[in-house]
Amino acid sequence: MSTPRNRTIKVDYMARVEGEGALYVKMKGERVEDVQLKIFEPPRLFEAFLRGRTFSEAPDITARICGICPIAYQMSAIHAMERALGIDVHPMVRLLRRLFYCGEWIESHGLHVFLLHAPDFLGYPDAIALARDHKETVEMGLRLKKAGNQIVTLLGGREIHPVSAAVGGFHRVPSRAELEPLREELKWALDASIATAKLVSTFECITFEPDYEFVALRHPTEYPLNEGRIVSNRGLDISADEYEDHFQERHVKHSNALHSYHRGFGSYLVGPLSRFNLNFDKLPEIAQQVARDCRLTPPVRNPFRSIGVRAVELVFACHEALRILDAYEPPPEPRVKVRPRSAIGRAATEAPRGILYHRYELDEHGLIVTAKIVPPTSQNQPRIEDDLRELMPGLVAESDAEITLRAEQAVRNYDPCISCATHFLKLNLDRT
Amino acid sequence: MTRVIGCGNLHRGDDAAGLLAARRLHALGIAAAGCSGEAIALMDGWAGAESVILIDAVVSGQPPGTITVWDPLAAPLPRECFVGSTHAFGVAEAIELARVLRRLPPRLTLYGIEGARFDQGSPPSPEVLLAVERVAQEIAQCTNPHS
Repeated sequence: MSTPRNRTIKVDYMARVEGEGALYVKMKGERVEDVQLKIFEPPRLFEAFLRGRTFSEAPDITARICGICPIAYQMSAIHAMERALGIDVHPMVRLLRRLFYCGEWIESHGLHVFLLHAPDFLGYPDAIALARDHKETVEMGLRLKKAGNQIVTLLGGREIHPVSAAVGGFHRVPSRAELEPLREELKWALDASIATAKLVSTFECITFEPDYEFVALRHPTEYPLNEGRIVSNRGLDISADEYEDHFQERHVKHSNALHSYHRGFGSYLVGPLSRFNLNFDKLPEIAQQVARDCRLTPPVRNPFRSIGVRAVELVFACHEALRILDAYEPPPEPRVKVRPRSAIGRAATEAPRGILYHRYELDEHGLIVTAKIVPPTSQNQPRIEDDLRELMPGLVAESDAEITLRAEQAVRNYDPCISCATHFLKLNLDRT
Repeated sequence: MTRVIGCGNLHRGDDAAGLLAARRLHALGIAAAGCSGEAIALMDGWAGAESVILIDAVVSGQPPGTITVWDPLAAPLPRECFVGSTHAFGVAEAIELARVLRRLPPRLTLYGIEGARFDQGSPPSPEVLLAVERVAQEIAQCTNPHS
Protein backbone atom coordinates (compact mmCIF):
# COMPACT_ATOMS: atom_id res chain seq x y z
CA MET A 1 0.00 0.00 0.00
CA SER A 2 1.34 3.40 -0.88
CA THR A 3 1.53 5.92 1.91
CA PRO A 4 0.02 9.28 1.06
CA ARG A 5 2.38 12.09 1.91
CA ASN A 6 -0.19 14.69 2.74
CA ARG A 7 -3.44 13.82 4.34
CA THR A 8 -6.24 15.84 5.80
CA ILE A 9 -8.73 14.08 7.99
CA LYS A 10 -11.91 15.95 8.73
CA VAL A 11 -14.73 14.67 10.81
CA ASP A 12 -17.28 17.28 9.99
CA TYR A 13 -20.06 17.26 12.44
CA MET A 14 -20.34 15.99 15.95
CA ALA A 15 -24.06 16.35 16.20
CA ARG A 16 -25.98 18.17 18.93
CA VAL A 17 -26.02 16.86 22.44
CA GLU A 18 -24.03 18.55 25.20
CA GLY A 19 -21.80 20.35 22.73
CA GLU A 20 -21.34 20.24 19.00
CA GLY A 21 -17.98 19.61 17.46
CA ALA A 22 -15.78 18.38 14.69
CA LEU A 23 -12.33 16.93 14.29
CA TYR A 24 -9.60 18.05 11.88
CA VAL A 25 -6.18 16.48 11.50
CA LYS A 26 -3.64 17.54 8.87
CA MET A 27 -0.59 15.34 8.29
CA LYS A 28 2.44 15.69 6.06
CA GLY A 29 4.24 12.39 5.94
CA GLU A 30 4.76 11.37 9.56
CA ARG A 31 4.49 14.95 10.73
CA VAL A 32 1.23 16.17 12.19
CA GLU A 33 0.85 19.74 10.98
CA ASP A 34 -2.40 20.60 12.68
CA VAL A 35 -4.94 19.10 15.04
CA GLN A 36 -8.18 20.84 15.91
CA LEU A 37 -10.98 19.50 18.05
CA LYS A 38 -13.68 22.03 17.31
CA ILE A 39 -16.47 22.51 19.79
CA PHE A 40 -19.18 24.80 18.49
CA GLU A 41 -21.50 25.06 21.42
CA PRO A 42 -20.07 25.22 24.92
CA PRO A 43 -22.22 26.03 27.94
CA ARG A 44 -20.82 29.52 28.34
CA LEU A 45 -24.20 31.15 27.80
CA PHE A 46 -25.20 29.90 31.20
CA GLU A 47 -22.73 32.22 32.84
CA ALA A 48 -24.70 35.10 31.34
CA PHE A 49 -28.06 33.53 32.24
CA LEU A 50 -26.95 33.37 35.85
CA ARG A 51 -26.24 37.07 36.25
CA GLY A 52 -28.97 38.73 38.27
CA ARG A 53 -30.47 35.44 39.46
CA THR A 54 -30.51 34.55 43.15
CA PHE A 55 -27.87 32.30 44.65
CA SER A 56 -30.50 29.62 45.29
CA GLU A 57 -31.34 29.30 41.59
CA ALA A 58 -27.82 28.43 40.46
CA PRO A 59 -27.99 24.68 41.21
CA ASP A 60 -31.15 24.12 39.17
CA ILE A 61 -30.10 26.41 36.32
CA THR A 62 -26.64 24.89 35.95
CA ALA A 63 -28.06 21.35 36.18
CA ARG A 64 -29.50 21.97 32.72
CA ILE A 65 -26.07 22.39 31.16
CA CYS A 66 -25.62 18.65 30.85
CA GLY A 67 -28.14 15.83 30.60
CA ILE A 68 -25.69 13.19 31.80
CA CYS A 69 -24.02 15.01 34.70
CA PRO A 70 -26.54 17.43 36.23
CA ILE A 71 -25.54 16.38 39.75
CA ALA A 72 -21.98 17.53 39.14
CA TYR A 73 -23.23 20.99 38.12
CA GLN A 74 -25.56 21.13 41.10
CA MET A 75 -22.86 20.06 43.52
CA SER A 76 -20.22 22.48 42.27
CA ALA A 77 -22.76 25.32 42.35
CA ILE A 78 -24.00 24.41 45.82
CA HIS A 79 -20.53 24.06 47.32
CA ALA A 80 -19.40 27.35 45.79
CA MET A 81 -22.47 29.13 47.17
CA GLU A 82 -21.99 27.57 50.59
CA ARG A 83 -18.36 28.69 50.57
CA ALA A 84 -19.52 32.21 49.71
CA LEU A 85 -22.22 32.27 52.37
CA GLY A 86 -20.25 30.54 55.11
CA ILE A 87 -22.50 27.51 55.45
CA ASP A 88 -21.61 24.16 56.99
CA VAL A 89 -24.02 21.34 56.38
CA HIS A 90 -24.95 18.42 58.61
CA PRO A 91 -22.71 15.34 58.15
CA MET A 92 -25.72 13.33 56.94
CA VAL A 93 -26.47 15.91 54.28
CA ARG A 94 -22.86 15.54 53.20
CA LEU A 95 -23.32 11.76 53.01
CA LEU A 96 -26.50 12.12 50.97
CA ARG A 97 -24.73 14.38 48.50
CA ARG A 98 -22.01 11.78 48.17
CA LEU A 99 -24.66 9.12 47.49
CA PHE A 100 -26.25 11.42 44.91
CA TYR A 101 -22.90 11.79 43.16
CA CYS A 102 -22.35 8.00 43.24
CA GLY A 103 -25.63 7.63 41.37
CA GLU A 104 -24.42 9.97 38.67
CA TRP A 105 -21.06 8.23 38.35
CA ILE A 106 -22.80 4.84 37.99
CA GLU A 107 -25.14 6.25 35.32
CA SER A 108 -22.44 8.04 33.42
CA HIS A 109 -19.72 5.39 33.58
CA GLY A 110 -22.29 2.65 32.83
CA LEU A 111 -23.38 4.50 29.71
CA HIS A 112 -19.87 5.19 28.51
CA VAL A 113 -18.28 1.82 29.24
CA PHE A 114 -21.00 -0.30 27.63
CA LEU A 115 -22.79 1.83 25.06
CA LEU A 116 -20.12 4.24 23.84
CA HIS A 117 -16.67 2.80 24.53
CA ALA A 118 -16.95 -1.01 24.43
CA PRO A 119 -17.91 -1.07 20.71
CA ASP A 120 -14.49 0.45 19.92
CA PHE A 121 -12.69 -2.49 21.46
CA LEU A 122 -14.99 -5.22 20.17
CA GLY A 123 -15.07 -3.99 16.59
CA TYR A 124 -18.63 -2.71 16.31
CA PRO A 125 -19.81 0.62 14.95
CA ASP A 126 -22.17 1.20 17.88
CA ALA A 127 -23.96 -0.38 20.81
CA ILE A 128 -26.87 -1.53 18.67
CA ALA A 129 -24.58 -3.65 16.53
CA LEU A 130 -22.80 -4.80 19.69
CA ALA A 131 -26.12 -5.88 21.20
CA ARG A 132 -26.80 -8.21 18.26
CA ASP A 133 -23.83 -10.36 19.22
CA HIS A 134 -23.42 -9.52 22.91
CA LYS A 135 -26.97 -9.11 24.16
CA GLU A 136 -26.17 -10.06 27.76
CA THR A 137 -23.30 -7.60 27.96
CA VAL A 138 -25.43 -4.72 26.75
CA GLU A 139 -28.28 -5.76 29.04
CA MET A 140 -25.84 -5.69 31.96
CA GLY A 141 -24.75 -2.18 30.99
CA LEU A 142 -28.32 -0.96 30.75
CA ARG A 143 -29.16 -2.43 34.15
CA LEU A 144 -26.04 -0.89 35.70
CA LYS A 145 -26.94 2.50 34.30
CA LYS A 146 -30.45 2.08 35.61
CA ALA A 147 -29.11 1.35 39.10
CA GLY A 148 -27.50 4.78 38.99
CA ASN A 149 -30.67 6.35 37.58
CA GLN A 150 -32.60 4.97 40.54
CA ILE A 151 -30.36 6.76 43.05
CA VAL A 152 -30.59 10.03 41.14
CA THR A 153 -34.36 9.75 40.75
CA LEU A 154 -34.89 8.92 44.42
CA LEU A 155 -32.71 11.73 45.74
CA GLY A 156 -33.30 14.23 42.97
CA GLY A 157 -37.04 13.96 42.70
CA ARG A 158 -36.76 13.08 39.03
CA GLU A 159 -34.34 11.34 36.73
CA ILE A 160 -33.40 14.17 34.40
CA HIS A 161 -32.47 17.60 35.77
CA PRO A 162 -33.09 16.71 39.42
CA VAL A 163 -34.45 19.47 41.61
CA SER A 164 -34.08 18.45 45.26
CA ALA A 165 -30.53 19.58 46.03
CA ALA A 166 -30.33 23.05 47.54
CA VAL A 167 -27.85 25.49 48.97
CA GLY A 168 -27.73 24.47 52.65
CA GLY A 169 -28.88 20.88 52.13
CA PHE A 170 -31.83 19.33 50.31
CA HIS A 171 -35.39 20.54 49.86
CA ARG A 172 -36.38 17.14 51.20
CA VAL A 173 -34.35 14.28 52.62
CA PRO A 174 -35.37 10.61 52.44
CA SER A 175 -35.93 8.31 55.41
CA ARG A 176 -33.80 5.20 55.81
CA ALA A 177 -36.80 3.14 54.67
CA GLU A 178 -37.04 5.16 51.47
CA LEU A 179 -33.40 4.42 50.63
CA GLU A 180 -33.65 0.74 51.47
CA PRO A 181 -35.10 -0.39 48.09
CA LEU A 182 -31.82 0.72 46.48
CA ARG A 183 -29.83 -1.87 48.40
CA GLU A 184 -30.55 -5.08 46.51
CA GLU A 185 -29.95 -3.51 43.11
CA LEU A 186 -26.73 -1.91 44.34
CA LYS A 187 -25.51 -5.27 45.58
CA TRP A 188 -26.13 -6.63 42.10
CA ALA A 189 -24.49 -3.55 40.60
CA LEU A 190 -21.37 -4.07 42.72
CA ASP A 191 -21.01 -7.64 41.45
CA ALA A 192 -21.77 -6.48 37.92
CA SER A 193 -19.12 -3.76 38.17
CA ILE A 194 -16.51 -6.28 39.23
CA ALA A 195 -17.51 -8.47 36.30
CA THR A 196 -17.33 -5.42 34.05
CA ALA A 197 -13.79 -4.61 35.16
CA LYS A 198 -12.73 -8.18 34.47
CA LEU A 199 -14.45 -8.16 31.08
CA VAL A 200 -12.89 -4.92 29.85
CA SER A 201 -9.47 -5.96 31.15
CA THR A 202 -9.50 -8.55 28.35
CA PHE A 203 -9.89 -5.85 25.68
CA GLU A 204 -6.77 -5.27 23.61
CA CYS A 205 -5.33 -1.76 23.80
CA ILE A 206 -2.68 -0.20 21.61
CA THR A 207 0.52 0.89 23.34
CA PHE A 208 0.30 4.63 23.89
CA GLU A 209 1.50 6.37 27.04
CA PRO A 210 1.74 10.16 26.90
CA ASP A 211 3.55 11.99 29.67
CA TYR A 212 0.44 13.46 31.28
CA GLU A 213 0.09 15.95 34.05
CA PHE A 214 -2.71 14.29 36.00
CA VAL A 215 -4.93 16.75 37.89
CA ALA A 216 -7.64 15.68 40.32
CA LEU A 217 -9.13 16.42 43.69
CA ARG A 218 -7.60 14.72 46.71
CA HIS A 219 -9.29 14.35 50.06
CA PRO A 220 -7.49 13.23 53.24
CA THR A 221 -9.70 10.21 53.82
CA GLU A 222 -11.93 9.59 50.81
CA TYR A 223 -11.84 8.90 47.11
CA PRO A 224 -12.79 12.35 45.83
CA LEU A 225 -16.31 13.34 44.83
CA ASN A 226 -17.54 16.56 46.43
CA GLU A 227 -14.44 18.05 47.96
CA GLY A 228 -10.68 18.01 48.26
CA ARG A 229 -7.59 19.93 47.29
CA ILE A 230 -6.61 20.15 43.65
CA VAL A 231 -3.39 18.18 43.19
CA SER A 232 -1.23 16.89 40.37
CA ASN A 233 1.66 14.52 39.78
CA ARG A 234 3.85 17.59 39.15
CA GLY A 235 3.59 19.08 42.61
CA LEU A 236 0.40 21.12 42.37
CA ASP A 237 -1.47 21.26 45.69
CA ILE A 238 -3.99 24.08 45.92
CA SER A 239 -7.47 24.86 47.18
CA ALA A 240 -10.32 25.65 44.80
CA ASP A 241 -9.88 29.29 45.82
CA GLU A 242 -6.52 29.28 44.03
CA TYR A 243 -7.74 27.54 40.87
CA GLU A 244 -7.74 30.63 38.66
CA ASP A 245 -4.25 31.58 39.84
CA HIS A 246 -2.94 28.34 38.38
CA PHE A 247 -5.24 27.55 35.46
CA GLN A 248 -5.90 29.83 32.56
CA GLU A 249 -8.56 29.68 29.89
CA ARG A 250 -7.66 30.77 26.37
CA HIS A 251 -9.78 31.37 23.35
CA VAL A 252 -8.68 29.48 20.26
CA LYS A 253 -9.93 30.40 16.83
CA HIS A 254 -11.23 26.97 15.90
CA SER A 255 -13.42 26.36 18.95
CA ASN A 256 -16.10 28.13 20.92
CA ALA A 257 -15.01 26.23 24.01
CA LEU A 258 -12.23 27.94 25.87
CA HIS A 259 -9.11 25.82 26.29
CA SER A 260 -7.68 25.44 29.78
CA TYR A 261 -3.96 25.33 30.51
CA HIS A 262 -1.95 24.89 33.68
CA ARG A 263 0.06 28.10 33.79
CA GLY A 264 3.72 27.31 33.15
CA PHE A 265 3.00 23.67 32.34
CA GLY A 266 0.53 23.43 29.44
CA SER A 267 -2.20 20.91 28.81
CA TYR A 268 -3.29 18.59 31.58
CA LEU A 269 -5.61 15.67 32.13
CA VAL A 270 -8.67 15.53 34.38
CA GLY A 271 -11.01 12.57 34.83
CA PRO A 272 -10.83 8.90 35.78
CA LEU A 273 -7.14 8.29 34.98
CA SER A 274 -6.10 11.30 37.05
CA ARG A 275 -8.37 10.47 39.97
CA PHE A 276 -7.22 6.84 39.96
CA ASN A 277 -3.53 7.64 39.72
CA LEU A 278 -3.61 10.33 42.39
CA ASN A 279 -6.04 8.63 44.77
CA PHE A 280 -5.48 4.89 44.42
CA ASP A 281 -4.76 4.65 48.15
CA LYS A 282 -8.20 6.12 48.91
CA LEU A 283 -10.11 3.48 46.97
CA PRO A 284 -11.77 0.85 49.17
CA GLU A 285 -9.85 -2.43 49.34
CA ILE A 286 -12.38 -4.18 47.10
CA ALA A 287 -11.79 -1.65 44.30
CA GLN A 288 -8.01 -1.75 44.77
CA GLN A 289 -8.07 -5.54 44.54
CA VAL A 290 -10.22 -5.50 41.41
CA ALA A 291 -7.79 -3.02 39.87
CA ARG A 292 -4.81 -5.23 40.70
CA ASP A 293 -6.62 -8.29 39.34
CA CYS A 294 -7.14 -6.36 36.12
CA ARG A 295 -3.46 -5.31 35.96
CA LEU A 296 -4.35 -1.70 36.66
CA THR A 297 -1.93 -0.15 39.11
CA PRO A 298 -0.98 3.51 39.22
CA PRO A 299 0.27 5.21 37.20
CA VAL A 300 -1.96 4.10 34.35
CA ARG A 301 -0.85 6.34 31.47
CA ASN A 302 -2.54 4.68 28.51
CA PRO A 303 -5.80 6.56 27.84
CA PHE A 304 -7.15 3.54 25.96
CA ARG A 305 -7.18 1.77 29.33
CA SER A 306 -9.48 4.38 30.79
CA ILE A 307 -12.36 1.98 30.15
CA GLY A 308 -10.86 -0.30 32.83
CA VAL A 309 -10.37 2.58 35.24
CA ARG A 310 -13.99 3.63 34.76
CA ALA A 311 -15.01 0.08 35.59
CA VAL A 312 -12.94 0.25 38.79
CA GLU A 313 -14.66 3.53 39.62
CA LEU A 314 -17.98 1.77 39.09
CA VAL A 315 -16.88 -0.74 41.75
CA PHE A 316 -15.99 2.16 44.04
CA ALA A 317 -19.27 4.02 43.44
CA CYS A 318 -21.44 0.96 44.09
CA HIS A 319 -19.45 0.04 47.20
CA GLU A 320 -19.57 3.62 48.48
CA ALA A 321 -23.31 3.87 47.86
CA LEU A 322 -23.88 0.69 49.87
CA ARG A 323 -21.66 2.03 52.67
CA ILE A 324 -23.71 5.21 52.79
CA LEU A 325 -26.98 3.24 52.94
CA ASP A 326 -25.62 1.55 56.06
CA ALA A 327 -24.43 4.77 57.70
CA TYR A 328 -27.27 7.14 56.84
CA GLU A 329 -29.66 8.59 59.41
CA PRO A 330 -31.92 11.48 58.38
CA PRO A 331 -30.53 14.82 59.55
CA PRO A 332 -32.62 16.87 62.02
CA GLU A 333 -33.36 19.43 59.29
CA PRO A 334 -33.12 18.89 55.53
CA ARG A 335 -31.26 22.16 55.12
CA VAL A 336 -29.86 24.97 57.17
CA LYS A 337 -31.08 28.53 56.85
CA VAL A 338 -29.10 30.67 54.47
CA ARG A 339 -28.57 34.42 54.78
CA PRO A 340 -27.39 36.21 51.68
CA ARG A 341 -24.34 38.41 51.80
CA SER A 342 -21.89 39.98 49.45
CA ALA A 343 -19.16 37.41 48.85
CA ILE A 344 -17.26 35.27 46.37
CA GLY A 345 -17.41 31.48 46.53
CA ARG A 346 -15.44 28.89 44.58
CA ALA A 347 -15.67 25.11 44.47
CA ALA A 348 -14.46 22.16 42.46
CA THR A 349 -16.04 18.72 42.47
CA GLU A 350 -15.31 15.56 40.52
CA ALA A 351 -17.79 15.15 37.68
CA PRO A 352 -17.57 11.73 35.99
CA ARG A 353 -15.34 13.35 33.33
CA GLY A 354 -13.16 15.26 35.81
CA ILE A 355 -12.91 18.46 37.79
CA LEU A 356 -15.80 20.89 37.40
CA TYR A 357 -14.97 24.35 38.73
CA HIS A 358 -17.55 27.03 39.62
CA ARG A 359 -17.03 30.55 40.91
CA TYR A 360 -19.81 32.98 41.89
CA GLU A 361 -19.71 36.58 43.01
CA LEU A 362 -22.82 37.59 44.99
CA ASP A 363 -24.13 40.99 46.02
CA GLU A 364 -25.56 41.75 49.46
CA HIS A 365 -29.00 40.45 48.41
CA GLY A 366 -27.58 37.15 47.21
CA LEU A 367 -27.94 38.03 43.54
CA ILE A 368 -25.29 36.67 41.21
CA VAL A 369 -23.01 39.41 39.88
CA THR A 370 -20.63 37.18 37.95
CA ALA A 371 -20.35 33.45 37.37
CA LYS A 372 -17.58 31.30 35.97
CA ILE A 373 -17.92 27.65 35.04
CA VAL A 374 -15.02 25.52 33.79
CA PRO A 375 -16.27 22.08 32.72
CA PRO A 376 -13.98 19.06 32.46
CA THR A 377 -14.24 18.82 28.68
CA SER A 378 -12.91 22.37 28.35
CA GLN A 379 -9.97 21.38 30.55
CA ASN A 380 -9.27 18.21 28.60
CA GLN A 381 -9.65 19.72 25.14
CA PRO A 382 -6.00 20.80 24.69
CA ARG A 383 -4.89 17.44 26.07
CA ILE A 384 -7.12 15.60 23.57
CA GLU A 385 -5.44 17.54 20.77
CA ASP A 386 -2.01 16.71 22.22
CA ASP A 387 -2.97 13.01 22.31
CA LEU A 388 -3.89 13.17 18.64
CA ARG A 389 -0.61 14.90 17.77
CA GLU A 390 1.32 12.14 19.55
CA LEU A 391 -0.82 9.27 18.27
CA MET A 392 -1.06 10.14 14.58
CA PRO A 393 2.62 9.74 13.51
CA GLY A 394 2.55 6.09 14.56
CA LEU A 395 -0.45 5.49 12.31
CA VAL A 396 0.94 6.96 9.12
CA ALA A 397 1.08 3.58 7.37
CA GLU A 398 -2.54 2.83 8.16
CA SER A 399 -5.51 3.37 5.88
CA ASP A 400 -7.52 6.56 6.10
CA ALA A 401 -10.38 4.62 7.64
CA GLU A 402 -8.10 3.18 10.31
CA ILE A 403 -6.60 6.58 11.12
CA THR A 404 -10.06 8.09 11.42
CA LEU A 405 -11.24 5.29 13.67
CA ARG A 406 -8.19 5.62 15.93
CA ALA A 407 -8.63 9.37 16.11
CA GLU A 408 -12.26 9.00 17.10
CA GLN A 409 -11.33 6.40 19.69
CA ALA A 410 -8.68 8.72 21.09
CA VAL A 411 -11.37 11.35 21.55
CA ARG A 412 -13.79 8.84 23.06
CA ASN A 413 -11.19 7.81 25.63
CA TYR A 414 -12.03 11.07 27.34
CA ASP A 415 -15.79 10.53 27.38
CA PRO A 416 -16.19 14.19 26.50
CA CYS A 417 -19.71 15.41 26.15
CA ILE A 418 -19.18 15.19 22.41
CA SER A 419 -17.77 11.66 22.39
CA CYS A 420 -21.11 10.09 21.70
CA ALA A 421 -21.56 11.95 18.47
CA THR A 422 -18.32 10.60 17.07
CA HIS A 423 -20.13 7.33 16.48
CA PHE A 424 -22.22 9.05 13.83
CA LEU A 425 -19.63 11.19 12.14
CA LYS A 426 -19.08 11.60 8.45
CA LEU A 427 -15.51 11.55 7.18
CA ASN A 428 -14.18 13.81 4.48
CA LEU A 429 -10.73 12.95 3.36
CA ASP A 430 -8.62 15.07 1.04
CA ARG A 431 -5.47 13.66 -0.51
CA THR A 432 -2.92 15.95 -2.05
CA MET B 1 -54.78 1.31 26.27
CA THR B 2 -52.34 3.47 24.38
CA ARG B 3 -49.41 5.03 26.19
CA VAL B 4 -48.31 8.41 24.85
CA ILE B 5 -44.75 9.68 25.46
CA GLY B 6 -43.47 13.07 24.32
CA CYS B 7 -39.68 13.38 24.08
CA GLY B 8 -37.26 16.27 24.00
CA ASN B 9 -35.69 19.15 25.86
CA LEU B 10 -37.69 22.22 26.83
CA HIS B 11 -34.59 24.39 26.74
CA ARG B 12 -33.42 23.71 23.20
CA GLY B 13 -35.84 25.43 20.85
CA ASP B 14 -37.80 23.05 18.63
CA ASP B 15 -36.49 20.04 20.53
CA ALA B 16 -39.29 20.86 22.98
CA ALA B 17 -41.93 19.71 20.45
CA GLY B 18 -42.58 16.27 21.94
CA LEU B 19 -42.77 17.55 25.49
CA LEU B 20 -45.09 20.39 24.50
CA ALA B 21 -47.38 17.94 22.71
CA ALA B 22 -47.48 15.78 25.86
CA ARG B 23 -48.41 18.85 27.92
CA ARG B 24 -51.13 19.79 25.45
CA LEU B 25 -52.53 16.26 25.52
CA HIS B 26 -52.58 16.39 29.29
CA ALA B 27 -54.60 19.60 29.08
CA LEU B 28 -57.00 17.81 26.71
CA GLY B 29 -57.52 15.11 29.31
CA ILE B 30 -55.28 12.48 27.70
CA ALA B 31 -52.60 10.84 29.81
CA ALA B 32 -49.22 11.57 28.28
CA ALA B 33 -45.76 11.34 29.78
CA GLY B 34 -42.71 13.51 29.14
CA CYS B 35 -39.28 12.01 28.65
CA SER B 36 -35.84 13.28 27.70
CA GLY B 37 -35.68 10.55 25.08
CA GLU B 38 -32.86 8.79 26.90
CA ALA B 39 -32.87 5.12 25.88
CA ILE B 40 -33.40 3.38 29.20
CA ALA B 41 -36.06 5.83 30.36
CA LEU B 42 -37.91 5.31 27.08
CA MET B 43 -37.75 1.54 27.28
CA ASP B 44 -38.97 1.70 30.87
CA GLY B 45 -41.63 4.17 29.82
CA TRP B 46 -43.23 1.83 27.33
CA ALA B 47 -42.62 -1.43 29.23
CA GLY B 48 -45.85 -3.39 29.57
CA ALA B 49 -47.84 -1.21 27.17
CA GLU B 50 -49.71 -2.85 24.29
CA SER B 51 -49.69 0.27 22.18
CA VAL B 52 -47.32 3.26 22.32
CA ILE B 53 -47.28 6.62 20.59
CA LEU B 54 -44.03 8.62 20.67
CA ILE B 55 -43.69 12.27 19.70
CA ASP B 56 -40.28 13.76 18.97
CA ALA B 57 -38.61 16.55 17.01
CA VAL B 58 -36.87 15.52 13.80
CA VAL B 59 -34.55 17.08 11.25
CA SER B 60 -35.08 15.63 7.78
CA GLY B 61 -34.76 18.70 5.59
CA GLN B 62 -38.49 19.36 5.30
CA PRO B 63 -40.06 22.71 6.20
CA PRO B 64 -40.39 23.41 9.95
CA GLY B 65 -43.62 22.08 11.38
CA THR B 66 -43.93 19.22 8.87
CA ILE B 67 -45.41 16.18 10.58
CA THR B 68 -44.17 12.71 9.63
CA VAL B 69 -45.69 9.54 11.03
CA TRP B 70 -43.55 6.41 11.19
CA ASP B 71 -44.29 2.81 12.01
CA PRO B 72 -40.96 1.79 13.57
CA LEU B 73 -42.05 -1.83 13.76
CA ALA B 74 -42.23 -2.00 9.99
CA ALA B 75 -38.73 -0.69 9.25
CA PRO B 76 -35.74 0.87 11.00
CA LEU B 77 -35.93 4.61 11.57
CA PRO B 78 -33.67 7.01 9.70
CA ARG B 79 -31.43 7.74 12.69
CA GLU B 80 -29.93 10.83 11.13
CA CYS B 81 -33.33 12.54 11.33
CA PHE B 82 -33.57 12.45 15.10
CA VAL B 83 -32.24 15.04 17.46
CA GLY B 84 -29.77 13.34 19.77
CA SER B 85 -30.62 12.98 23.38
CA THR B 86 -28.19 12.44 26.22
CA HIS B 87 -24.93 11.48 24.59
CA ALA B 88 -26.54 10.71 21.24
CA PHE B 89 -28.43 7.79 22.61
CA GLY B 90 -31.86 9.13 21.85
CA VAL B 91 -35.21 8.01 20.50
CA ALA B 92 -34.03 6.39 17.28
CA GLU B 93 -31.20 4.57 19.06
CA ALA B 94 -33.56 3.50 21.86
CA ILE B 95 -35.96 2.00 19.32
CA GLU B 96 -33.20 0.21 17.41
CA LEU B 97 -31.60 -1.08 20.60
CA ALA B 98 -35.00 -2.21 21.87
CA ARG B 99 -35.57 -4.00 18.55
CA VAL B 100 -32.35 -5.97 19.04
CA LEU B 101 -33.13 -6.66 22.70
CA ARG B 102 -36.74 -7.58 21.88
CA ARG B 103 -38.12 -4.85 24.09
CA LEU B 104 -40.35 -3.06 21.57
CA PRO B 105 -44.05 -2.78 22.38
CA PRO B 106 -46.49 -4.73 20.18
CA ARG B 107 -47.72 -1.52 18.53
CA LEU B 108 -45.65 1.61 18.12
CA THR B 109 -46.29 4.85 16.24
CA LEU B 110 -43.89 7.75 16.06
CA TYR B 111 -44.94 11.31 15.27
CA GLY B 112 -42.00 13.37 14.07
CA ILE B 113 -42.30 17.16 14.09
CA GLU B 114 -39.79 18.87 11.86
CA GLY B 115 -37.72 21.39 13.79
CA ALA B 116 -35.56 24.25 12.60
CA ARG B 117 -33.63 25.56 15.60
CA PHE B 118 -32.17 23.65 18.50
CA ASP B 119 -29.86 26.13 20.17
CA GLN B 120 -29.73 26.39 23.93
CA GLY B 121 -32.38 28.68 25.39
CA SER B 122 -34.19 29.55 22.14
CA PRO B 123 -38.02 29.36 21.97
CA PRO B 124 -39.79 26.89 19.67
CA SER B 125 -40.55 28.06 16.11
CA PRO B 126 -44.12 29.24 15.43
CA GLU B 127 -44.49 26.51 12.78
CA VAL B 128 -43.51 23.89 15.34
CA LEU B 129 -46.02 25.21 17.86
CA LEU B 130 -48.77 24.90 15.25
CA ALA B 131 -47.66 21.36 14.49
CA VAL B 132 -47.65 20.50 18.20
CA GLU B 133 -51.32 21.50 18.37
CA ARG B 134 -52.20 19.45 15.26
CA VAL B 135 -50.41 16.38 16.57
CA ALA B 136 -52.03 16.72 19.99
CA GLN B 137 -55.49 17.03 18.47
CA GLU B 138 -54.93 14.05 16.19
CA ILE B 139 -53.65 11.84 19.01
CA ALA B 140 -56.44 12.99 21.30
CA GLN B 141 -58.99 11.99 18.71
CA CYS B 142 -57.59 8.55 18.15
CA THR B 143 -56.88 7.74 21.80
CA ASN B 144 -59.90 9.30 23.54
CA PRO B 145 -62.28 6.45 24.31
CA HIS B 146 -65.23 8.87 24.33
CA SER B 147 -64.58 10.38 20.93
